[in-house]
Amino acid sequence: MKAIKKEVFNRLISSLIKSYEVIAPVKKELVSFEVIKRPEEIYFKTNSYFPVKEFFFKKNETLFRFNGNNVKVPVKKPKKKVLIGLRRCDLNSILRQDMAFIDEDVDAYYKKERENCVLIGYHCSKVEDEYCFCGSLKLLDFFDLMLYDKGKSFLVEVGSKKGEKFVKRYKQFFKESKVKKIDKVVKGSDRLKKKDISSLYDHADWEKGVKRCLSCAACNLLCPGCYCFDINDKVEIKDLSKGERCRTWAACQLRCFTRVAGEHVFRDKREDRFKHRIYHQLQYFKEKHGVNLCTGCGRCIRGCPTRIDFVKIINEMK
Amino acid sequence: MGSILARMGLCLGMMRLRMTEDKLKVGFYNITGCAGCLLSVIFNEDDLLHVAKIIDIKAFPFIKEKKNDGELDVVFMEGLVASNDDVKVLKEVRKKTKVLVALGACACTGCIPAFRNFIQKENYERKVFLRKLELRDQKPVPIDKHVKVEYYIPGCPPDKNEILTFIKDIVLGKKPRGYDKPVCFECRLNKNTCFLDKKELCLGPITNGNCNSVCINGGLVCWGCRGATPDANFETMISLLKEKGIKAKDIKDRMKTFVGLKLPKEVIR
Amino acid sequence: MKMKNAYLPKPVKIINFKRESSDTFTLRLGLKVKHEPGQFLQVSIPGIGEVPISFASYSNKHVELSIHEVGNVTNALAKLKKGDKLLVRGPYGKGYPMEELKGKNVIIMGGGCGVAPLKGVIEYVEKFKKDFEDVVLFLGFRSINDILFKEHLSRWKKKFCVNTSVDKRPAKTCFGVKVGFITKLIEKSRLESENSVALMCGPPIMINFIIRILKDKGFKDNQIFVSAERMMNCGIGVCGHCMIHGKYTCKDGPVFRYDEIKND
Repeated sequence: MKAIKKEVFNRLISSLIKSYEVIAPVKKELVSFEVIKRPEEIYFKTNSYFPVKEFFFKKNETLFRFNGNNVKVPVKKPKKKVLIGLRRCDLNSILRQDMAFIDEDVDAYYKKERENCVLIGYHCSKVEDEYCFCGSLKLLDFFDLMLYDKGKSFLVEVGSKKGEKFVKRYKQFFKESKVKKIDKVVKGSDRLKKKDISSLYDHADWEKGVKRCLSCAACNLLCPGCYCFDINDKVEIKDLSKGERCRTWAACQLRCFTRVAGEHVFRDKREDRFKHRIYHQLQYFKEKHGVNLCTGCGRCIRGCPTRIDFVKIINEMK
Repeated sequence: MGSILARMGLCLGMMRLRMTEDKLKVGFYNITGCAGCLLSVIFNEDDLLHVAKIIDIKAFPFIKEKKNDGELDVVFMEGLVASNDDVKVLKEVRKKTKVLVALGACACTGCIPAFRNFIQKENYERKVFLRKLELRDQKPVPIDKHVKVEYYIPGCPPDKNEILTFIKDIVLGKKPRGYDKPVCFECRLNKNTCFLDKKELCLGPITNGNCNSVCINGGLVCWGCRGATPDANFETMISLLKEKGIKAKDIKDRMKTFVGLKLPKEVIR
Repeated sequence: MKMKNAYLPKPVKIINFKRESSDTFTLRLGLKVKHEPGQFLQVSIPGIGEVPISFASYSNKHVELSIHEVGNVTNALAKLKKGDKLLVRGPYGKGYPMEELKGKNVIIMGGGCGVAPLKGVIEYVEKFKKDFEDVVLFLGFRSINDILFKEHLSRWKKKFCVNTSVDKRPAKTCFGVKVGFITKLIEKSRLESENSVALMCGPPIMINFIIRILKDKGFKDNQIFVSAERMMNCGIGVCGHCMIHGKYTCKDGPVFRYDEIKND
């Protein structure tokens, strides 16, 4: 383990800002990940309200530009990034999106953003609020560096080769620590009971959630894992044969998500859409990739206007 | 050299002439309204000249002196029907156009002028005119109560980009598709704080978006001017707002403000 | 390292345009690509959009796509002419597992534009006819005017047992075509379930009906292959629109063995 004093950490950030795009949680009215200019902007106290995925899985990505039938991919050279203050759930959700975008077919756009970035975590010392449940989901150690808040200083755990290199490069900032092992369990974060939901698909209790659902898609947009997208063409008014094909975030909780030409909607019922989200998070993704898509951050519940708590619904199912 | 240029000019001129013939003949008209929706068209300042190149604008209040009396392909109609003259104009325009587009909340849903449908006559006739008047005009209603409407571009005012996209779509022969993601979708993308969490009367979750959540970005709640989403969960929305301490009457009045005539009767009763 | 970009389509020339019915047409593309019957291409017109279209042919010389005009992209495709270009990427998805089905009786059942992907199956079976046992076709259309692949039908009739029906009674009598739903025809026919497989594509109502009938005739779930239709955007199993109970229609399908999706 390494250690770094908080004021030294701030100096480290200041020097990083010169050569990297440094992204960290910032508190405005709500906490969100932003590109920072000064280390004082970083806000560690609570987890961010908005997810970090927008820095890799862009809200709006130009897949290519076209001029008639000629297509061209825009050259994109993302800056080297250092991401700071990612919680365990956020780090694991990046891992999930890597699985979706890189593991099978390489998505060049996503991969470019993910390359050359250092992930520095911030370990939760306690449960954020009543919505978290990361402890139920067997999250993995996935980080380059992890910070453990020890009051005036951080303990630093190195989690990868990249992290090792990073510490070496900035060795003047870090000190050795005697601490060998650290307790990573966050007490009370395991409120989702272990249950096989595959047999519960037709359970009547889903209705509790469906009834309170406004189909506003906040859950999809705030989820750090949700990776579904739309593809649309946009043309220029100057010349309608020119334009671009774009990829934008989509939301499975909306009717239009499964609407085809002829106005048929495959998942027209709110119930089907609601269950699709939960099952994708807790079953379908696992069938394909071996881990749940959900990382238990609780954002979909915290940000839901009616606070539909699917964890509670599942727990209470008999 | 000169002759080549001249010939090229001639060629271009002919091309342009031909293009005019091929271009969609489009008219912008207004009946009772504030002209704000037509302004939304004009606010596409940088692109307006390009718009004029791809469509043949035959009528536009304040911009075109002469109105076209011939056949039109597409008409954008702003305003609602509130007088007998409105009905006359609307029916005439409907006769000459293949496609009629309701532009803005008045034309689509009746907007604020149609709120009169929800209040007692005695309450407004004295307030507005200070003395009792015999009002003999039309009942204020959206234009589709009188004529067939093919497309709707909602909003008070409508979004200028949506109008531009609509024009591009029709020129490309695409059937413009109504947007049915809620305001919340864009609002969350814009990283706003949810007004509902601040116990305010925001109708974002049940209102059609494509406005880029402009009101919420500017610190105002959503009043629902673009109409309810196709599967709006009114029951839960109303009960949620009541839980926040908002009075039932205030909720219903707010819902009725822009789109009252297009909401299910049981919702606004 | 240059990464392969799955979203980047390439232009292909239309070498023939043929109208099949008032709302369906066939494009022959100057494209040679290895594919299975039931797989699809992502076809697009820049500025209008992209749609998945199943192969309606099985040839190593060209590709044929039979397209039903239902939306913006398909309507725009209908306006193209011989010599024009469009953009394609693919082939994508899992088709009908023809290789595995060799040695079996093949029953091919389609309704309306669902017959298009089956045409690829039929051409495959034509090509490897001696590898298959009995081949039976059930093709249903709305009306006489909606019948697709008329010129192929006469050829198929010489080789296979072909049953066609139209829902609406035609004004004039027409030989060889029965009136009524195709499901009625299937119900009445004597189909042997042993060593048979049923390959189908068509509207969900029709498919559900046929499956019920086949089950009554002793067919098991793993003898039935269905091509599913969903909203698709990416074609490569990422965007999520086409997911049915955890399976991507574009990648794990569009052809599913019925026991893989029967609970959906």
